[in-house]
Amino acid sequence: MRRRIASICLNTGLLAVSAVTIFPFVWMLMSSFKNADEIASVDQHLLPRVWTLANYRSIQEHFDVVRLFGNSLLLSVAITGIAVYTSLLGGYVFGKYRFRGRGPLFALVLATMMIPWAVVLIPRYTMFTGAGLQDSYASIIIPAAISSFGIFLMRQSMDNVPDEVLEAARIDGASELYIFHRIVAPLSVNAISALAIFQFLWVWEDYLWPYLMLTTPSKQVLAVGLTTFSGQYSTDYGGLFAATTVSIIPVVIVYVIFQKRFVAGAASAAVKG
Amino acid sequence: MKTTRTLAAVLAAGVLMITACSSKPSGGDGVTDTTAAKGLPVAGATLKYDPNTLVNDGKPIHLDWWAWGNIPQIQAFADAYQKIHPNVDITVVNQPWDDYWTKLPLQLQGPKGPAIFNIHNSQHDNVIKYMAPYDIPVDQLAADYLNAKSHVIDGKIYYLDLGLMSGAIYYNKDMWAAAGLTDADIPATWDQFREVAKKLTVKDGAKLKQAGFNFNSSFSAFQAGMAYQLGQNMFAADGTTPTVDNPANRQVIQRFLQIYADGSGSKDFGTEATTSFGQGQTAMVYAWGWYEGTLRSQFPAIKFGVFRTPVPTAGATPYAYDRYNGESTVGINKNAPADQQAAAQDFLKFYLTDKADMKALDLSLGVFPAYKPLADDPEIKADPALQAYGDISRYIWPGTVPSTFEDNFTKMWQDILYNKVDPAKALTTAQQKIAADLAGKNFTSAEKLYPAYAPSN
Repeated sequence: MRRRIASICLNTGLLAVSAVTIFPFVWMLMSSFKNADEIASVDQHLLPRVWTLANYRSIQEHFDVVRLFGNSLLLSVAITGIAVYTSLLGGYVFGKYRFRGRGPLFALVLATMMIPWAVVLIPRYTMFTGAGLQDSYASIIIPAAISSFGIFLMRQSMDNVPDEVLEAARIDGASELYIFHRIVAPLSVNAISALAIFQFLWVWEDYLWPYLMLTTPSKQVLAVGLTTFSGQYSTDYGGLFAATTVSIIPVVIVYVIFQKRFVAGAASAAVKG
Repeated sequence: MKTTRTLAAVLAAGVLMITACSSKPSGGDGVTDTTAAKGLPVAGATLKYDPNTLVNDGKPIHLDWWAWGNIPQIQAFADAYQKIHPNVDITVVNQPWDDYWTKLPLQLQGPKGPAIFNIHNSQHDNVIKYMAPYDIPVDQLAADYLNAKSHVIDGKIYYLDLGLMSGAIYYNKDMWAAAGLTDADIPATWDQFREVAKKLTVKDGAKLKQAGFNFNSSFSAFQAGMAYQLGQNMFAADGTTPTVDNPANRQVIQRFLQIYADGSGSKDFGTEATTSFGQGQTAMVYAWGWYEGTLRSQFPAIKFGVFRTPVPTAGATPYAYDRYNGESTVGINKNAPADQQAAAQDFLKFYLTDKADMKALDLSLGVFPAYKPLADDPEIKADPALQAYGDISRYIWPGTVPSTFEDNFTKMWQDILYNKVDPAKALTTAQQKIAADLAGKNFTSAEKLYPAYAPSN
């Protein structure tokens, strides 16, 4: 009985926390259907008094939302795929191979996580511009192709891959690439899911670097388009809410797809070492 | 495995498809113009623009024009120009205000930056070294544009004001009528204003329900300008020493505090005056010209009127009514290819003489036109915010004043209202901080250019 009461209390608490977390998103969703007067009104209601799709129609006036949505989706999927692959590879090497300098090299990889991004922004800009990569997607994909956090996460998850299985595969004549793709990768699916979610979110939300590197409007990403709702003196909140609502759809889909694996993957990285 | 390969193939196809849509070539849309004599009238007053010419010898050319707002009005200039010169393809690119000032200087360092770009005079130091001077005699610009000579650098102009923005009092017409007030009650002096604010205040017992006047969070907008009404400049006669801690600024502070002491407003009621006004909580606010556009777009239900900021003495023209700042004309990228720069210079002349589109831009920005042929335009005279200014020549431009003034006036007012700091002490602190901040800067005030300038200490 006591356990049941504790469980009810815990679930009620979690439900309350969930409600608090999700409420701003519900508010944003509902506000995206309100007109400017209702959004700015002192007397606020969750549900619109007058439902309108004007905010959604106005998105296209600010930027080509379909195009920018497609650009963001493509970049996010491409970078996530590449970064997850290189991270798994790096994690596998650091986790399962023994070689001279492994420790310092791994520490060096981790150290790159400590450098604030603002410090490298301008040198990186100069480097990529000098290489003639400005206004190309290569300038967005290349810096994100290798993730030190991803390597760290995958390195931690390698404890889930028994050495005995790898040895058995080698004895059976499997090549290193075969082992990596057919044994290590399937056994790391939880960590891959967790990293995929993180990586997708980072790329999807990334604003400043794509903004600086991409100059052709049709190549821009959705996160940059969203900022055009905020002007010098005021913000078009209705349009911003509508565009943001559209922009979080892929994030929700990715999370729904990977959520079961996500918790297990994140936990494995947290407790193993 | 098959699925993975299929996904990879789809992804690769997507990348190819999107990268195939690359930026526009320097040749623009590929249209050639062969007709110089188009039979169009020459535009302009002193500065003329003759459209009956070939730009870039009629060969196709593409120009990027970066801007951060008012895109429909800016696009109108581009469309009108492209109609005359179909070989010139201008792409207006909407940029986010905040990070525009990070990206623009980086882009202007190389040849791939925009040929034309909007600038704000607060970013003068950030971009001036990348700007080409206007290929137009200064005298012609000075003849047609107010205040043009204040923008001369070594005999050349790199940008000038397209319009002048200042402050005025915005009032809620419904609240005004509900309080039994008419147009005859529009206050001319601060004493009258104080009484009107009382009438516009609504309380439920001791609780404020409607503020007669609210100046919360708009401290930096009025403090410097209101001291001008009392003959006090922002800088001493040397043009570099800030003059903040003085009786005029103390009087301004006391005047505003008195209104709150009357109960006509409160530091705790509507923490942002302009939002509170838009939400129908406040009857009067002081705001600059941009607010007119914000009210129309963000708070369309509010019926508002605008009147000139009151003055200390009835019937007497003050030293100046307020300060003003300019919204700037476009800049030309000096690192752009020569053909783009030449085309941009031609466009510039069109832009500076395109009366109709300039008027639309002025109205959308809420600025009084610097283009003199527009001064008496009926639409300009009918605009509530612009008509409120009255004689624009009685407003002072102190130059592109460093942000330390606004920052420290804001801090000063926050200390006074919320931290109970004595106004005199807060003013002294502001003076010290502003003086310290300016010590390392090479700034000279433009106050001396004001026709009625009189030095003050």
